Amino acid sequence: MRPEPLQHGPSLFGRLARRISFVLFIGAALLVTAAWYYAETAANKAYDRLLVGAALQMAESLSVEDGILTARLPTSAFELLGLADRDRIFYRVIDTHGQTLTGYDDLKTPTPLERAQDPLSVEEGVYKDEPVRIAHATRILADPAVSGRAYVIVAQTNEARLALTRELTLRATILVFIMSLLAFAGAMLAIRYALQPVEQLGTEVRGRDPHDLTPVTVDVPRELDPFVSSINHFMGRLNERVDLLQRFIADAAHQIRTPLTALTAQIDLLGTGKLDKAGRQHFNRVKERTSELSRLTNQLLSHAMVIHRADSVQQEPISLVDVARRAYRVAIPVTVDPDIVISFEAPDDRPFVLGDAVSLREAIVNVIDNALRHGTDQRLEVRVRATGTQAFVEVEDDGPGIPPESWEKATQRFATSKSHEGSSGLGFAIAQEVANAHGGTLSFRARDEKGFTVVLTLPLYKGVAK
Amino acid sequence: MIRVSFALLMVGLTAAQALAAESNKTLFPAVQPDAGTLTIYSTTDLAAIKPLIEDFQKSSPDVSIDYNEYLTNELNALASEACRKQEPLGDLLLSSSVDQLLKLANDGCAAAHTSPETLRVADWANWRDEVFGFTYEPAVFVYNRSKVPPAEVPRTHVELADLLRERLDYYRGRVGTYDIRLSGIGYLLAFNDARQTTTVFGRLLESMARASAVARCCTGEILEEVAKGNLYIGYNMLGSYAYDAAQRHPELGVVVPRDYTLVLSRGALIPKGAQRADLGARFLDYLLSERGQSVARTNAFYFTESGELPPGVDGPQNLKESGVAQPIRIGPALLAVQDRAQRQRFIEDWSQSLIELNSPAWTRE
Repeated sequence: MRPEPLQHGPSLFGRLARRISFVLFIGAALLVTAAWYYAETAANKAYDRLLVGAALQMAESLSVEDGILTARLPTSAFELLGLADRDRIFYRVIDTHGQTLTGYDDLKTPTPLERAQDPLSVEEGVYKDEPVRIAHATRILADPAVSGRAYVIVAQTNEARLALTRELTLRATILVFIMSLLAFAGAMLAIRYALQPVEQLGTEVRGRDPHDLTPVTVDVPRELDPFVSSINHFMGRLNERVDLLQRFIADAAHQIRTPLTALTAQIDLLGTGKLDKAGRQHFNRVKERTSELSRLTNQLLSHAMVIHRADSVQQEPISLVDVARRAYRVAIPVTVDPDIVISFEAPDDRPFVLGDAVSLREAIVNVIDNALRHGTDQRLEVRVRATGTQAFVEVEDDGPGIPPESWEKATQRFATSKSHEGSSGLGFAIAQEVANAHGGTLSFRARDEKGFTVVLTLPLYKGVAK
Repeated sequence: MIRVSFALLMVGLTAAQALAAESNKTLFPAVQPDAGTLTIYSTTDLAAIKPLIEDFQKSSPDVSIDYNEYLTNELNALASEACRKQEPLGDLLLSSSVDQLLKLANDGCAAAHTSPETLRVADWANWRDEVFGFTYEPAVFVYNRSKVPPAEVPRTHVELADLLRERLDYYRGRVGTYDIRLSGIGYLLAFNDARQTTTVFGRLLESMARASAVARCCTGEILEEVAKGNLYIGYNMLGSYAYDAAQRHPELGVVVPRDYTLVLSRGALIPKGAQRADLGARFLDYLLSERGQSVARTNAFYFTESGELPPGVDGPQNLKESGVAQPIRIGPALLAVQDRAQRQRFIEDWSQSLIELNSPAWTRE
């Protein structure tokens, strides 16, 4: 019994997955941005040191020779800058009068040198249409001939910095990416794990016997408690309603039975003597219908009893052979057609099943009764047998049987193809109800040359019988 | 346009430079229908580059080549002027004075070029994929075998200085070297000599000054005079030219110094915005390719980084393995060489020691 799929909203898993990946994505983007920022700072720091180092070396190389300021730019300063091996280098040495001593005449610091507070500085700038880092170093000269401030400006393009920034950022990005993937995979596993109880609860509820209206007893996380107690509350109410309905049916059947018995007695008393042919015919029809009605009433009562007992009676190991034999005796009326060959067959090992003897007998009685009424032509056979794990009660008759396409319908209440013959149609329903309550099944075996068989299968009791 | 700027520039040049500055223009027409003309401005002697150009035209027969030869300083002046005006000079610059090329690249006058061939270039000979070194040329001594007795042949810088000191009268006015005021390559080599060993270079300079060393603009002139016997010893000659001359004049001896040998890699640069930068890149790729290098080894520049010295050259078996070679790295350090204050002072010092100290009285004598 599979319920129709409901109108699905987005799944809980999907919603969580989407939100988590969104958060992870935003987080990763922030981290990568931060990594880029730090990488840029680190690269700038590293290469600024070279730049300042070179500027200092050049400033150091300034000297006064014969009263003239001279610059002997050390090759090592350029080699130092050359560590950023693809970057172009611009420099300018300015003497105490603000005149260019050597280098690129138009190279300037972004902040005018006169206003520079620190003797050293590093700034961003543009030279020859290229973004550059510009450093300056100040040399204070106190020679009698030359005194004042001389400056060295050194600028370098940004290729090495960018390359380092890119490399650092790329590595950080790879790490962030891997971490995000791991976090995502972990979160997905965690969600799956967290949602497992929901799945379990679903399976439990779905796998329930439709007649089982007892409270659900799965262990669920606290968060699902309201849900489970709602289900249980609902089931409780449903159970009450069903009980009420059953009691009503039983009461009704019981109430009907008394006047019905009286009615039957009255009809018997009525006699047929004074009736003409047509009247007799009507009389017989009434008699027939009355007995059918009384049978139906009995079946209704039997059905109510079976259901009641399934809920309330403690099951115990019983001998299936004994139960079947008793049922056999009850079901075969004394008035049975003597032409019919009736037999009962049982194994010697007396298979035991766990169950309620009364309900089981009622089920078997109904099956035999059904066979007698609708099936049997010449022969009826009741057999009990057992295999390793199961016990069977088989009722075989030589009648036409039920075609396979009607098997499912046959076990439904009040459904039979032969209703015009006066069937109440509750027999198989009762038998199946009992079989299900005992963890067994009611099934049919297609007609072969011997006949049509109804099989009641029950699990074999493994313990020691009393 | 180049002509005009060149003419303008000429005004500023000294008379001596003006004499030497005659453009040596040679056209190598395409064998097949013309795909275009590649204009090369170069300081390399036509004789050395000719085998390379001819071989290049075998593989690219549709390219005409207009080859313009200048002295290093002239070429540098032209190129920087052109760059300042943003009128690129030719499609490819070849100069032995790599410091000048590096300065040009640093000033943003070069276009970067990468290809499978440029990947083969050693780290020290490639800057920013803009300046490439395509040769390996040691700075050597040359001497005239008939004038310098075998016992006196100097094999280190110190030996040369000592020889000039000891045999001052014999070698007076018989030693030739670059005039670093005129020759960029001369300046580059002298500057690196000074960096290499201050004391040895000082001594050598002093000895050469006392011996009234003769300064010339170009390798060719000195080699010729040494071959003729007018000069006995040439100092800091480019190995490729020296070896080429030695093959033509058997009396020329070539010595690769054993204490240290400066190694120069001739530089190539594609000017930014060059009209036929594609052809420039094609020729550059050819120069760097296996084929170009092998032609250069056999016909043009003779020395290679990995191989042995060419036969007949006096020196260590293998330059690189002996550890004597001191390649001049194509990198930012060359900017120090190109610093104008540095250059001015270095040339002043040099002139003072070599030319002025070596008073005119000596030469008039």
